[in-house]
Amino acid sequence: MNICVCIKQVPDTNEIKVDPVTHTLVRKGVPSIVNPFDTYAQEVGVRLKEKLGGKVVVISMGPEQAKEAIKTCLSVGADAGYLISSRKFGGSDTLATSYILSEAIKAVEEKEGLKFDLILCGKQAVDGDTAQVGPEIAEHLGLPQITYALDIIEKDGDIQVKRECDEGYDMISTQLPAVVTVVRLPYEPRYPTIKSKMAAKKKEIPVLTEEDIPAINLERCGLSGSPTKVKKTYTPVTEKNGVKLEGMEAEDAAKEVVKLIYDAKIL
Amino acid sequence: MMNLADYKNIWVFIETECGKPKNVGFELINAAKPLAQEKGCELIAVVIGKDIEGVAKDAICYGADSAIIVDGPEYEYYTTDAFAKALVALVEKYKPETLMIGATNNGRDLGPRVSCRLKTGLTADCTAIAIDEETGNVAWTRPTFGGNLMATIMCPENRPQMGTVRPAVFKKGAYDEAKTGEIVKEEITVAADEIRTTLIERVKEVAESINLEEAEIIVSGGRGVGSQENFQLLQDLADVLGATVGCSRAVVDAGWMPHAHQVGQSGKTVAPKLYFAIGISGAIQHVAGISGSDTIVAINKDPDAPIFDVADYGIVGNLNEVVPALTEAFKAEKA
Amino acid sequence: MYNQLTPEIIEEIKKVSNNVFLGEEINPDYAKDEMPIYGTHMPDLAVQPRSTEEVAAVMKICYENNIPVTPRGAGTGLAGGAVPLYGGVLIDISKMNKIKSYDMENFVVEIEAGVLLNDLAEDCQSKGMLYPPDPGEKFACVGGNVATNAGGMRAVKYGATRDYVRAMTVVLPTGEITHLGATVSKTSSGYSLLNLMIGSEGTLGIITELTLKIIPAPKAVASLIIPYEDLETALATVPKFKMAHMNPQAIEFMEREIVLASERYIGKSVFPQELEGVQIGAYLLVTLDGNSEDEVDALIEQAAELVLEAGAIDVLVADTSAKMKDAWAARSSFLEAIMEETKLLDECDVVVPVNKIAEYLTFVNKTGEECGLVIKSFGHAGDGNLHIYQCSNDLEEEEFKKRVDKFFDIIYKEATNCGGLVSGEHGIGSGKVKYLVDSVGETNMAIMEGIKRVFDPKMILNPGKVCYRL
Repeated sequence: MNICVCIKQVPDTNEIKVDPVTHTLVRKGVPSIVNPFDTYAQEVGVRLKEKLGGKVVVISMGPEQAKEAIKTCLSVGADAGYLISSRKFGGSDTLATSYILSEAIKAVEEKEGLKFDLILCGKQAVDGDTAQVGPEIAEHLGLPQITYALDIIEKDGDIQVKRECDEGYDMISTQLPAVVTVVRLPYEPRYPTIKSKMAAKKKEIPVLTEEDIPAINLERCGLSGSPTKVKKTYTPVTEKNGVKLEGMEAEDAAKEVVKLIYDAKIL
Repeated sequence: MMNLADYKNIWVFIETECGKPKNVGFELINAAKPLAQEKGCELIAVVIGKDIEGVAKDAICYGADSAIIVDGPEYEYYTTDAFAKALVALVEKYKPETLMIGATNNGRDLGPRVSCRLKTGLTADCTAIAIDEETGNVAWTRPTFGGNLMATIMCPENRPQMGTVRPAVFKKGAYDEAKTGEIVKEEITVAADEIRTTLIERVKEVAESINLEEAEIIVSGGRGVGSQENFQLLQDLADVLGATVGCSRAVVDAGWMPHAHQVGQSGKTVAPKLYFAIGISGAIQHVAGISGSDTIVAINKDPDAPIFDVADYGIVGNLNEVVPALTEAFKAEKA
Repeated sequence: MYNQLTPEIIEEIKKVSNNVFLGEEINPDYAKDEMPIYGTHMPDLAVQPRSTEEVAAVMKICYENNIPVTPRGAGTGLAGGAVPLYGGVLIDISKMNKIKSYDMENFVVEIEAGVLLNDLAEDCQSKGMLYPPDPGEKFACVGGNVATNAGGMRAVKYGATRDYVRAMTVVLPTGEITHLGATVSKTSSGYSLLNLMIGSEGTLGIITELTLKIIPAPKAVASLIIPYEDLETALATVPKFKMAHMNPQAIEFMEREIVLASERYIGKSVFPQELEGVQIGAYLLVTLDGNSEDEVDALIEQAAELVLEAGAIDVLVADTSAKMKDAWAARSSFLEAIMEETKLLDECDVVVPVNKIAEYLTFVNKTGEECGLVIKSFGHAGDGNLHIYQCSNDLEEEEFKKRVDKFFDIIYKEATNCGGLVSGEHGIGSGKVKYLVDSVGETNMAIMEGIKRVFDPKMILNPGKVCYRL
């Protein structure tokens, strides 16, 4: 089974802070990581490959620096990685990004001399949180999709997907090739070993630009290919002037709050 | 180039499963109403499912002007292929200016598939919607960067303007039983071989369904609770109040509670009447998920914890003492 | 010998403290710490003071009236040190939990003794600083850490708590307040009363405020999970780090069973159970730090070469904060995981020379078998501090205690024989007094008792602990 894993390098949003004075994001010193959901996609992809044979190829769109993220994936079982990078791709929204990726996937199939049976993505990237690129890649490629996968299970060479739903999960089968987006797995992504880390460090990561993807329509890339426009961004300021009880005995404070709640007719 | 003037009216997609509606659809009707008034256009509910005429009627009673329904056995359970085909066909026929979908798992599966096929813009997971004064476009506002940043996004040159909107951010309007409106039935059939995914089985894992999004009172704990066992203190308080127990991400990470209980940017958005944040410091990711609460009560030993900035009532103290004291005080008040 | 509290004395205490608890109001947890097997005793009165002066005033009344006093922090001890064996007054300093100020020029932080280790660690981190002592229990009070001289995971490179205490405020058993130490890095100024107080387990005075040394946080850290076929091979690697001039922050060892239990408890599996067809029997968890990622990368490579040569099956690298957190989460949950699966539990934390760990553990496991006990162990391989747990789910408590007594007699003797000591960081409390006597001998015990008498002429502070046998 040949598997393509789409990953994104993101800032570790847990480490992002807002400057209390300027109310802007402080990105300095925030480490770049592989989008956590993508690491699960990568792990399940490698597990499927280990069972069924084939190849796991990682692709990522981003600046030169995103090669680091691809190397991280190579150190935990991916066989090859491609960086999709061009100034013409900058400023793409999800529609344009998914278009570029879907065209890149075809180009990579050509270069690797194979057809992907499965395209895996994380549910969403933790910086944008849109969860759109996966389904949109499926649409561009005309493939079936399953989102919110909790696990992908191999059964007689076919796959079944556990899809998260309100009270548990749905077991879903699909025709292949297909796109699956992954939430979390019942197991953790593996750790790189020293040998795999060293080997990944040495691996060449080809960069694909529009020149390597001849079929691409540049009108549909970047700002011109993006129907959504960001009008403004701001940091949320939420400050209530609530009642704060300090230095009181627990019992008295509790009684006071309960009284306030009933006085305000909240209950 | 599409002629934008051809597109009018606001549509709200009402998600159903096995004929039952999800609340978020009705919430969106209430949220879209002022926008429809501002634009002077119609607010139309779109229901796709099986045996859903009653749902269309409900949507009208909740405030939609009319409804379009697609009813058929192939829509009993959600599939991307069937629902995308039906919704795209409706959009192409009627040309709505705006299309809103609840940001549930299925809504976020369907939305991008449809917007991509229509080559239009979709703004995901919105928490606020308004009409931009200057252009008349919908201004979709959503949290990003883990809730640290809000972004307002527009789709000026393509139609429909699409957005998915988080459940529980808006409230349902009043149900007016007397209200009537037209219900248009559209026949769109999907052949079995057009649906490429198959539901093999549905497995229930959560013993009781944890419905944080619709809970009126939530007692939520963070890492400050200290241990899994200590959550019993919160459960005791919840029992007295008939509340649901929630938690922060740190608690899920520590394995004290399953993910279904998680409130916040990467968990559920909640909007209860009363929210207790116990031992929760108030990281922006968490606050992003609780800002729809009417009243927030914070209990934390750190007087400088950011949770106090958003709380209506705060108690600085040891939760091991304060929470049992609250339980007793509510018991006394109820007796 | 001691007096009982009278209504008059209680009134006197209430006059100097607004935070007095009596009868039903007393928190039942005060009767025990995390090792209830050493017995439970309720105090007759508990105080939660908010200031050093309040502690001193209560202490003074107790001294004048000959009432025993037991100091307590978060109650996370493992040797019965905070249990009021003789009733009387318990002073819980956990409400004195303010981080008062940082002095970024002298690299010190001033805190009240009730601050939780976790809170101090996070607060330091937010300022780009590190308070190196890192005991497994993150919800312990720092005052308690100082009172037992807890070491923790990072002691291999950075030393134990003692190395980070610059000064303290202490309430003496007489009710006097005294300040020990200073914000300086050297001293040759008489007996070090500061160092006497550190590790005294609340028998010489009640620590109420602390000035602690902090260091700039290292710029880069990474952990290695190193799987081995068996524990002996794993432990044989440990001295080689030092030989190679490597200075890891932490070197922990753990056996297969305990890792499995802990992963069951936290619901996440990160340690490989089988590699290249070999079942993993033991692991080392090593943390390396440095001033840049490149420096740490180079250290990782050097360490990997070293351990692979020494028989490690592979080396797994945790080089992101999420992966490090997961790896250490399993390690930090060992005690909780054991408690979860065990009805009767006792433990010891002997420390032995690093090169004797393997030999000693083999002896311990053999002894455990002979005594009919289930033994689970893990610990700080880098400094020879072992945490050995005796577990039973089916024995009667009396029988269990009998077997554990026998087991302890044998293994403590062996620890002393191979150059070790009774406790590396948990302390003596009430549970380990007799083994301390056996280990250090009557002469040393007599000196300790003499010191105790100088500080506490009426022997009212934390009676029955460490050296004072009643």
